[in-house]
Amino acid sequence: MTIEKIDLDLCTGCGICIDSCPMDVIRMDRAGQKAVIRYPQECMNCEQCALDCPEEAVTVTPYKTVPLISSWG
Amino acid sequence: MIECDVLVIGGGMAGWFAAIKAREQGLNVLLADKGYVSKSGETIYAGDTAVFDPDAGNDLAAWLEQVDVIGEYMNNRHWNELVFRDSRERLADLRSYGVQFEEKDGRVVRLPHPHANIVLPDTHKFPPTVSEVVHWLPGFPEKVRKHLIKIGVKLKDRFMVTELLLQDGRVAGAIGFSIEGNRVEVIKAKAVVMSAGGGGFRPVGYPTHELTADGHAMAYRAGATITSKEFVSPHSTNPKDPAWPPMYLFFSAGHSAAQPGMYSAPHLFNAEGDEVAARGVAWHGWIDAEYEAHEGRAPLIADLGKRGVLPVSGPGGHGSMFGHATGGIVPVNDDCATEVPGLYAAGDSCGTCFIGANYSGFGFATAHAAATGARAGLGAAAEAKGLGADGGIDEKAVAAATARLLEPLERKGGFTPNWVTQVLQNTLAPYFVLYVKHGDRLQAALSTVEFLRDHIAPKLYARDDHELRLAHETKNMILNAEMKVRSSLARTESRGTHYREDFPGRNDEEWLAWMRLKQEDGRMVTFKQPIPAEWRPDAAKSYEERYPMRLPNEVPGSGAPNAAGEGR
Repeated sequence: MTIEKIDLDLCTGCGICIDSCPMDVIRMDRAGQKAVIRYPQECMNCEQCALDCPEEAVTVTPYKTVPLISSWG
Repeated sequence: MIECDVLVIGGGMAGWFAAIKAREQGLNVLLADKGYVSKSGETIYAGDTAVFDPDAGNDLAAWLEQVDVIGEYMNNRHWNELVFRDSRERLADLRSYGVQFEEKDGRVVRLPHPHANIVLPDTHKFPPTVSEVVHWLPGFPEKVRKHLIKIGVKLKDRFMVTELLLQDGRVAGAIGFSIEGNRVEVIKAKAVVMSAGGGGFRPVGYPTHELTADGHAMAYRAGATITSKEFVSPHSTNPKDPAWPPMYLFFSAGHSAAQPGMYSAPHLFNAEGDEVAARGVAWHGWIDAEYEAHEGRAPLIADLGKRGVLPVSGPGGHGSMFGHATGGIVPVNDDCATEVPGLYAAGDSCGTCFIGANYSGFGFATAHAAATGARAGLGAAAEAKGLGADGGIDEKAVAAATARLLEPLERKGGFTPNWVTQVLQNTLAPYFVLYVKHGDRLQAALSTVEFLRDHIAPKLYARDDHELRLAHETKNMILNAEMKVRSSLARTESRGTHYREDFPGRNDEEWLAWMRLKQEDGRMVTFKQPIPAEWRPDAAKSYEERYPMRLPNEVPGSGAPNAAGEGR
C-alpha cells in the first residue's frame, strides 16, 4: 500500500495534501471536513502529501500492491 | 467560454517563465495545469540548474564540446548556445521572483558538474565535463507560484487540456475539463504555449506518473512535427522496494547534487561477482547494466564504498521515463514557434534537441525549460499583440471537440484505462523493448501498440471524472508509444541511449540525422533531418575518439547487423 492512511483525528481538513498530490489520489470528503484517500491505486509514492501535511497525519510506506485489473468492468 | 491573450498549458519551470514573460508584456495570461502549479510534473524533483557565466571563467567552446561528446552529436548547437547564453538572465529572474539559492558572501554558489570528479574504472573512459550548476533552496516552486499570482497570471489548477482548437489553420484556443467535477470549458486564446512536459508510461520508482506526453500528443494531432523519440531517459531503482523513490534517489542521484558524496564512483558487480563497466551508473545509458541482465547475470550490486552495498534494478523495469530536453515538438525559430501557427513549445515539450542522445549535463533540463519558456512566452505575446480582434471559434468544431472529450464518459461500456495502461506497460517496460532494442522485438511491440490504437483506445471508458483524466492520458501514452517504437525502428544504428542489438555501432555515414515524425493522411510517418555539416564530428578523428563510450558487442562505424546479435 503506498499511501496507507490519513489519520482523521489529526486531519484538520486544510486541503494541503490534495493540492500536493500530482495524481488526484486524495479528495475532500462530502462534508468538506476531512481529506480522504479516494483513488489509492494511482499513488506513485512521491510522498508529497506526507511531507507537506502540517499535522503529520498522512502515512506513506514503500510498499505498493498492484491490484489485479481485469479488462472490463 | 474563457478568453485570454496567451494560454500556457502546463505549469512547471517552462510554463512559469512563459506565463511571467507574456504577462510582463501587459497581456491577459491563463496558465492551466492538470495538477497544482508548483507541485506538478517534474517540478518537485528539480534541484539545480546549469548557469553559464563567462565572467566566472566559463568557456563556451568547452561547454559545447561536452554536449557534443556526451550527446553524441545529436544535440542542436544553436540551441545549446542560446540556452547557455540565456541562463544567467534566467537565474537573475528567478532571484527576482523570490527564489533563494545556496549563497556565500552574497553570491550564488556555483558547483562543478557532478561527473567532473567521478573516478571510473580503467576499463571505461567517461567524457570530460565542465558545466556548472547552482542549487535553489527548498520551497522554490511555492515562491514562483506566489509571484505568478502577484503579477496577475490567472492560474487554473486541476484542469486537463485535451485538445488544441484550430480556426482557419491556426491555434485559436483549447478545450479541457476540470478534474474535480468534469466541467468542460473552452479557452479562447490568441496564442498558446505548450509546456506540458515529456512523458513515460507511469514508470515504477520514478514518481512522474502524470507525465503522459500530453503536450507532444496534442501538438502532433494539430499537425506539428515531433523529433528524437528514440532516446530514453533511464533511471534505476531498487529491487527490494521498486516503487520507493528514496531508493532511486540514493543510488542514481537524479536531483541530489546537493550531496556531493553521491558522486564517488559506485562500482557495479554482476551476479557472478565480476565488475561491470561503470558507464551505467553515470546515468547515461544503463545499457551495460541492461546487457548484464540480458545475458542472465542480474541482479546487480552497487558497491558504494563507505555507504555499503545496494542491489540495483535497471530502468527496463520502469519503462522509459521521458525524453528530457531533447525530443518533442520541433521549434521553427528562436521564439519556440512551431509549424502550427499560433502554437509555441517550451521545456520538455519542445524538441530543440538540446541535450542530444544522452543526458549531457546536470541542470540542463531546468536551464533549457527556463530559456525556452521565456522565449516562447515573449514570442506568443508578440504574436498575440499583433492580432486584431479575434474571429472566434467555429461552433461545430467546439461541439465535435466536446464530444471527443466526453466520449469515454458517454460510453455505456468499454475498456478501463487502468487495464489498458497495464497492457501498454507490459508491452513497453521489459528491458528488451526500449533499452536493449532489436528490430524484431520492436516490430512485435508495434503490432500490439497499433491494436491498442485502433481497437482499444476508441473504446476506453470512464466511470467518473477521475477516470476521464486517465482515459485521455492513456490515449496519449498509446500515441507516445507508437512514436517511440517507430523512431526506434527507423534508426538502424546505436547512439547514446538508443541501443540496437541488431545494429550495435554508431553509423556516421547514415545517421548524423535527427529522426522526425508527423501525421500524413492520418498515418504516422518518420523522416530524417540531417545534422548541419558544421556540427558533425571531425571525420579525421578515430571512431573511439568521436565516441569514448563503449557499447556491448560494438561494431565500430558499421551500424550493420552483427552476426552474433542476430536471432536473439
